[in-house]
Amino acid sequence: MNPFIEIITQPDNIAIVIMVILVSFFTVWAFQQAFQNDKLIAVGQPVDGENEGLVDTFKPLVRIELIIALAVMVFLTFWSIVVDAPLEEIANPTLTPNPAKAPWYFLGLQELLVYFDPWLAGVVLPSLIIVGLMAIPYIDINPKGNGYYSFEERKFAIITFSFGFFILWLLLIVIGVFFRGPGWLWYWPWQEWDHARVVFEPTRDFSTVFGIDSRSLPGFILGAIVVNGYLIGGMIAPYKYLKKKMPEFLKEFGMIRYIVTTSLFITMMSIPIKMVLRLVFLIKYIWITPWFNV
Amino acid sequence: MNNPTDIKERVKKNIIWKSIFRRDYRNTVRDRAQAIFGNVFLHLHPVQVREGAVKLRFTWGMGGITFFAFIILVITGVVLMFYYHPSVSQAYSDIKDLEFQVPFGVILRNLHRWGAHFMVIVVMIHMFRVFMTGSYKAPRQFNWGVGVILLVLTFMLSFTGYLTPWDQLGFWAITVGTNMGAATPLLGYQGPFSEFLHITPFNDVRFALLGGSRVADNALLRAYIWHCVAIPLVSVILMFVHFWRVRKDGGISKPHK
Amino acid sequence: MANENKNNSNYRAYLFVFFSVVLLALTLWIVWDDEFGLRPWKNYQQEFKTLKHAQLEKEYSKAASDFQKSGDAQKLAALKAQLKKAEDLFNSNDVQEKYKKLNAQWVENHEHSVKNTKELQTARGQYLETEYYFTKTQKPEYKKKMDELQKQIDTIASRATVLQKQGDGLKSSLAPYTAGIADLQAEISKLESVLDEKKERIGTSDKVPVEIKQVYIKDIDKADRCQSCHIGIDGSKQISMKQPFTRHPASFVFLKNHDPEKFGCTFCHRGQGRATTSVVKAHGNEKHWDEPMLEGDMTQTSCLNCHGDVKQLRGAEYIAQNTELVRKYGCYSCHKIPGYDGFGDVGPVLTEVGTKVNYSWAINWLLDPKKYFSKARMPKFYFKQDEAEAIADYLFSMSGNTRHDVDYASAKPDEKLVDQGKQLWSQARCNLCHVTNGKGGNNVKVYAPDLSKIGSKVSKEWMFKWIKNPNAYFPGTKMPRFRFTDQEINALVEYIVNEYKDDDAEMKYTTPVEIKAESIRKGKDLILKYGCYGCHKLQGMEEMVQVAPSLLSQGVTFLKGEEMKEKIGAELSSIGSKPVDMLDFGKLKKSIPNDRLSYIKQKLRDPRGYRLGLRMPNFRLTESEINGLASVLYGFTDNNIPSRYMVPSRQQLDKIAGVPSYKFTGDFAKVIGDVKCTNCHSIKGIGADYAPDLTVAGSKLQESWIRKFLANPDVIRPLLQQMPKFGLSAGQTPQKVTMPKFNLGTQKVEDTNRSDVDVIINYFQQELVTTDIPKQIPVITTLSPEEQVAKGKELYDLKGCKACHQVGTEGGALGPNLSNVGNRLNPGFIFKHLENARKFKPDIVEPNYGFSERERIYLTNYLMTLKLNAK
Repeated sequence: MNPFIEIITQPDNIAIVIMVILVSFFTVWAFQQAFQNDKLIAVGQPVDGENEGLVDTFKPLVRIELIIALAVMVFLTFWSIVVDAPLEEIANPTLTPNPAKAPWYFLGLQELLVYFDPWLAGVVLPSLIIVGLMAIPYIDINPKGNGYYSFEERKFAIITFSFGFFILWLLLIVIGVFFRGPGWLWYWPWQEWDHARVVFEPTRDFSTVFGIDSRSLPGFILGAIVVNGYLIGGMIAPYKYLKKKMPEFLKEFGMIRYIVTTSLFITMMSIPIKMVLRLVFLIKYIWITPWFNV
Repeated sequence: MNNPTDIKERVKKNIIWKSIFRRDYRNTVRDRAQAIFGNVFLHLHPVQVREGAVKLRFTWGMGGITFFAFIILVITGVVLMFYYHPSVSQAYSDIKDLEFQVPFGVILRNLHRWGAHFMVIVVMIHMFRVFMTGSYKAPRQFNWGVGVILLVLTFMLSFTGYLTPWDQLGFWAITVGTNMGAATPLLGYQGPFSEFLHITPFNDVRFALLGGSRVADNALLRAYIWHCVAIPLVSVILMFVHFWRVRKDGGISKPHK
Repeated sequence: MANENKNNSNYRAYLFVFFSVVLLALTLWIVWDDEFGLRPWKNYQQEFKTLKHAQLEKEYSKAASDFQKSGDAQKLAALKAQLKKAEDLFNSNDVQEKYKKLNAQWVENHEHSVKNTKELQTARGQYLETEYYFTKTQKPEYKKKMDELQKQIDTIASRATVLQKQGDGLKSSLAPYTAGIADLQAEISKLESVLDEKKERIGTSDKVPVEIKQVYIKDIDKADRCQSCHIGIDGSKQISMKQPFTRHPASFVFLKNHDPEKFGCTFCHRGQGRATTSVVKAHGNEKHWDEPMLEGDMTQTSCLNCHGDVKQLRGAEYIAQNTELVRKYGCYSCHKIPGYDGFGDVGPVLTEVGTKVNYSWAINWLLDPKKYFSKARMPKFYFKQDEAEAIADYLFSMSGNTRHDVDYASAKPDEKLVDQGKQLWSQARCNLCHVTNGKGGNNVKVYAPDLSKIGSKVSKEWMFKWIKNPNAYFPGTKMPRFRFTDQEINALVEYIVNEYKDDDAEMKYTTPVEIKAESIRKGKDLILKYGCYGCHKLQGMEEMVQVAPSLLSQGVTFLKGEEMKEKIGAELSSIGSKPVDMLDFGKLKKSIPNDRLSYIKQKLRDPRGYRLGLRMPNFRLTESEINGLASVLYGFTDNNIPSRYMVPSRQQLDKIAGVPSYKFTGDFAKVIGDVKCTNCHSIKGIGADYAPDLTVAGSKLQESWIRKFLANPDVIRPLLQQMPKFGLSAGQTPQKVTMPKFNLGTQKVEDTNRSDVDVIINYFQQELVTTDIPKQIPVITTLSPEEQVAKGKELYDLKGCKACHQVGTEGGALGPNLSNVGNRLNPGFIFKHLENARKFKPDIVEPNYGFSERERIYLTNYLMTLKLNAK
C-alpha cells in the first residue's frame, strides 16, 4: 500500500485527519465571516446579528441542540463501527518503541524537545502557554470586535493568536504525527521508515560560531549577553516604538499589562527563532550555564 | 376509541402522564417558558435567547458538542469500568476481552476512544471560535479562564486514559509524558536547580505522578483514579461554573445589550 | 406575533427524521455485529451440532438395524409376550385372591412391626431417662422402675423378633408371584437400554448450549477459547474431517499427556487464545500480536518449553531431529544458547594445520568449502582471494613460514602395501563414519569428514600420526584409536593416499613460498573479525572463544576468560519470544512477512541479507534444514512457565539433586577415550543411539560371548537392525551394519598390565549391571529340564514368536535373530525381558504376553538351548 495512505488510515491517525479537515473548514468559515463583517463595518453598516432580537428557547434552541446531538451521535457511532480502536502489544518496559510518541495533542510539545531542553519544552513553555491563554482577556483591551467575527478591528490579536494556534500547535501536531519517524527524524509520508538510519547532524553552540568555547567563562558571558539581550531588548524596543508612535495607547495599556504582554510575546517568538537557529544554523545551545542550558 | 386523537387524549389524561408533564403544552408564551424552567436539564437556558444563539454559523455549536461528547464518554466510561481492573496483570486482557467476550464491548470501547479524540478536537475548535468572535472580552474574561482550565483538563482526561489499556502505545506515551515531570525546574530530579532541594528520582514530581519511580502498578492505579474519578469530578464542577457564567454574562457569546 | 410562526415552523423536521433513521440503522448494525458478525463460533457450534446429530442418528439407526438383524428384536418380542403371559397369570382370579390374602397378611404384619418398633423406642427412651435420674439421685424407686422397663423392653424385643420372622416368611411366600415378572422386566429393559441410550445421547448432544468454551489455566494466567470453534478437538470420536471440527491428531500422545484442561491450546500452539471474533485474530495473525499459531510439526518447537530432553520423547521426533542440527553446525560456538554449552569445538584443531594440509587446498576450502565436499559443514564466509590467502598465511605461520603443497600423484604406489591397506580399511569399517565417493557414513552423528579426495589434501606424515593416535593431535576427537601396528598404519595410509585423491587438485606451491608478515597480520585481523576461534582451536586464541562484537569496532580488541559475557553472535536464548519490533528486517522489510519465524528463516537462508556489514557466514542449508533449525530457535523462549510444568532432562535432574553426572572411571575411561565406544553405543545415558545400549550389558551378556565378539566382531553375529520408531516418524530404511574391528586385546592399556578387553569385561561386570536382572532364574524341580525345554518350545510356537524372531533359517526379521541366543544372553535377562520388555527399552515393539512365572522359566530354559557352536 502507498505509505501515505497507510499512515493516514492508521486508526489513531484518522482522528488527526478529521481534525485537519474540521479545523480547515471552520477556519475558512470564520475568516469569511470576519471579512464580511469588516466590509460592513467599513461602510458603516451593522455587522451580522448586531440588531438581532430575542427568540424563545423552546423550541428553536432545544431543537437545534437535539439535531446536533443526533448528528454527533450518528457521526461517532459510524466512526466506531467502521474503525476499531487499536490495541498494541502488551506493555513491555524493556522494549522501547522507536519513535515513542506522546498522545497526538502533545506532539507539539514533543517537537519542541528538539529545540529546547525538557525543562523548557516540557514544563516552562506549557505552563506559559496556559498562563498566556488565560491572560488574553486581561491584556487585550481593545473594546471592538466583541461578539462578532472581525479581522480589521483586531488584527494584532488575531494574527498573534493564529500564529500560536495554527503554526506552533496544530502544525507541529501534524508534523509530529505524519513526518516524524524513528529517532524523531524527518520522514516524508511516502518514505519508508528505516530504523537503522542514523543522521549525524553536527550541532554546535552559539558561541562556538565565533570561536569561543561555549563552556568557558567567555562563552558563558557571551551566551548570557545574547539571551538576556534578547529578553531585555524585546521588552524595551516595542516600548520605544510605541512611545514614539502611539503614546496614548501605551498610557492606556499600562505598565504591568505591557510587561506581561511583551514577555509572553517574546517567549512565543523565541520558539521560531530557536527553530531557525537549530535547523538553519545547527545551533544547539545559546547559553550554557552550570544549572541549565538555553 | 380507535381514533388516534382519542388515544392521545386518554394518554394525556392519565395520571402518570400528568404527574410527569404536569400540564398540557399549548404553545403559548407561558407554556414555552414553562417548558424551559420546568425542566431541570433545559432550565440552564434562559427562556428567551438571542437570535444569534440559534444560528449555526455564529456558534458552530462547538461548546454544546463538547459537552455532549463528555456525556457520551461518561456513559461509555462507566460501563467500561464494569469490565476493567486497574492492575498490570489484568488490564490488558480485560481490554482484549472487551472485543472477544463482552456484549457490545467493541462498540463501547470504540465509542470511548473515538469520542475522546473527538472531544479534544472539538474543544480546540471551540476555543478558536470564541477567540475569533472576541467573546473573551468583558464581561467574560473570567469565563475564558475557566475555559482554558477545562481545555487542560480535557487533555489530562485523555492523557490519563491512555495508560489504562496497558499496551505499548499507552505505556510509552505515559513514560515519555511523565519524564517531562522529571525535568521540572526545582521539583524534578533532572530539572535545573533541583539539587538545591535534594530532589532524587524518589521524591520528585514524577514520583508523585507515578506513585513510584517507574510506570508500574501504582502508576496504572493513579492514572485510573485520575481518569475515572478525580478529573471528571473537577471537570463537571468547572463545566457548570462555565455554563452558569455563560448565562450570567449575557447569554451566548455577546456582550450585554 | 411575527416570531411565533418562525419559532414553531417545522423547517428542520426532516433532519430529525433523517438522523433518527440513520442512528436506528447504525444501532441495528451494531446489534447484528454483536450477535453474528463478531461471533463466528456460534455458526461453527451449530454446524458441529448438526454434524454430531447426523452421526448419532446414523449410529442409532445402525444400532436399530443391528437390533433387528441380530435377532434381539425377536427376542424382545418373545420376552414381551412372556411378560404379558406372566402378568395375565398373575392377574387371574385365583392367583390374585391368594396373592391379595397373603399381601394383606404381610401389610398387617408390617403395621404391627412398625408399631412395635415405635413402642420399643419409647421404652428405651424412658429407660435412659430413668437411668439418668437414678445416677443423679440414687433413689431406689428409679432402680425399680428401671428393672420394670428392662423387662418391658425385653418383651417388646422378643415380639419384634417374632414379627420379623413372620414378615420374612410372608415376603418369601409372596416373592414367587412377582419374581418371574420382575426378571422379565429387567431383561426387557436391558435389551431396550442399548437403543434407548443411543437415543438419549442424541437428546443430550442437542441440548448442549451454544456458548464460548473457555479453559482457564491459573498457573500461567491463560484463557484459551479455542474450543469455542475447535469443538471436537478432544472428543472421543471423529465427527468430521472438516476444520475446525477435527479431533487432535495423535491425541493419545499429545492430549493424553497434556490434559487440555490444564494446558489449554496456546501453551503449545501459541496464537491468541482469548480471541473469538475471527479466525485470523484467534490464530494470532494480527498486527500487534507477536505469537502466530503453530501448526503441524512446527508445534513441536513448544516441547522445548518444558522438556529438558526431547531425544526419546514420543511425538517430539521432528524437534529432536532438529536439535541435532544445532550440534551439527555448532551454532553454540558463536551464539549463546541455553543447554548447548560444553559440547566442544565443531571444527578441527588448526594449531598445526600447516603440517597437515596443502596450501592450495586450504585456499580453496576457505573460498568455498562445499566445492571440495558437498556436505561440508564449514560455512561460506564470502572471502575474497586475498583474504583467504591472508587467513591461510596466518594459519600456516603457526607451524612454519612457507606456503607449500605436496603432490603424491607422481609417486608409484607399493601395490602390496595398498592391498593390505584396503583390507584394513574394510575391517576397520572406516566407511561406517567416513563417506568416500558417496558411499558410507551411516553413523551420521559423528560428522566424520568425507575422505574421497583426502589424498590431495593432507600429508602422509600427518595422516600416519593421526591414525596412530588421534587424541594427540585433537583431544576430544571422535576418531577412535585402532590398535594397528606401525606397519599396518603405513599400509592404510598408502591405500588412502592412492585410492582417494583428487586428480583435478591444483598444486600451486609445490615449491614453497615464503609467507609475508603483512599478510599474517591481516589474516589475524580477519580471524578475529569473523571469530574462527569459535569453532576451531587456534594457537594463542584458546581463551578467545567469545568476543563482544560491538566492542571490536571501538578498538577494544577482546576480553578473555571470565570477562567475556557475550559470544560473537547474538544471544539466542530467547529468540523465540523476541518482540518482532526488535528484529531488524532492514532491506527486506517490504519483501518478506514481518514475523519472527520468517525473520529467523531468512536469516538462516541468507545471513548477510538484511543489511551491509553483517558477519554471519552462510551455511548454505537446505530448505528443510532451515525449517528444522528455525523450529528449534523458535522454541528458545523466555516465558515464565511454572516449574511444576517442567520435565528436566537427566542431566538437569542430576544437577538439581546434586548428583554428579555419570562418568566413566578407572582404566575403562582410558579405553573409552581411545576407542570411543560412545560414538555408537549409549552407556548410562552417555553416547549415541546408533548401536545397542550397553547400560546393563554386564547383566545381559555372557562374558565368553563378549570376548569372542570383541575379538572378531564381524563374524559372530550381525548387529541388531535399527528399528524404525513405531508409528510416529517416517522410519529410515533399516541399515545392516557391523561393528568395526578395533584389534582389541592386542595391546595393554597404558600404565597397567591388563589388556583392553579385560578392562572392558571387568567394567561391564562391575558397573554395567542392574539388580533388576537376577544372575540365575528360579528352578523348577517338579519337571525335568528336558520337559521344561519342551514346554518352552511349545510356548514359543504357540505364541507365534517366530513371526518376528528367526531361529536357524525360520522366522521373521522384525525381532532379533535368536539362533545363538543361548550363547549370548544371560538367562536372568531373558527371564526378566519376558516379564516386561519395555522396562529395558521403552520404545520396543515386542508385545507383553503376560506370561506367568512358570511359563517364563520354560521359555528361558528353551531359549538357552539355542546355541550355534562356532568352530
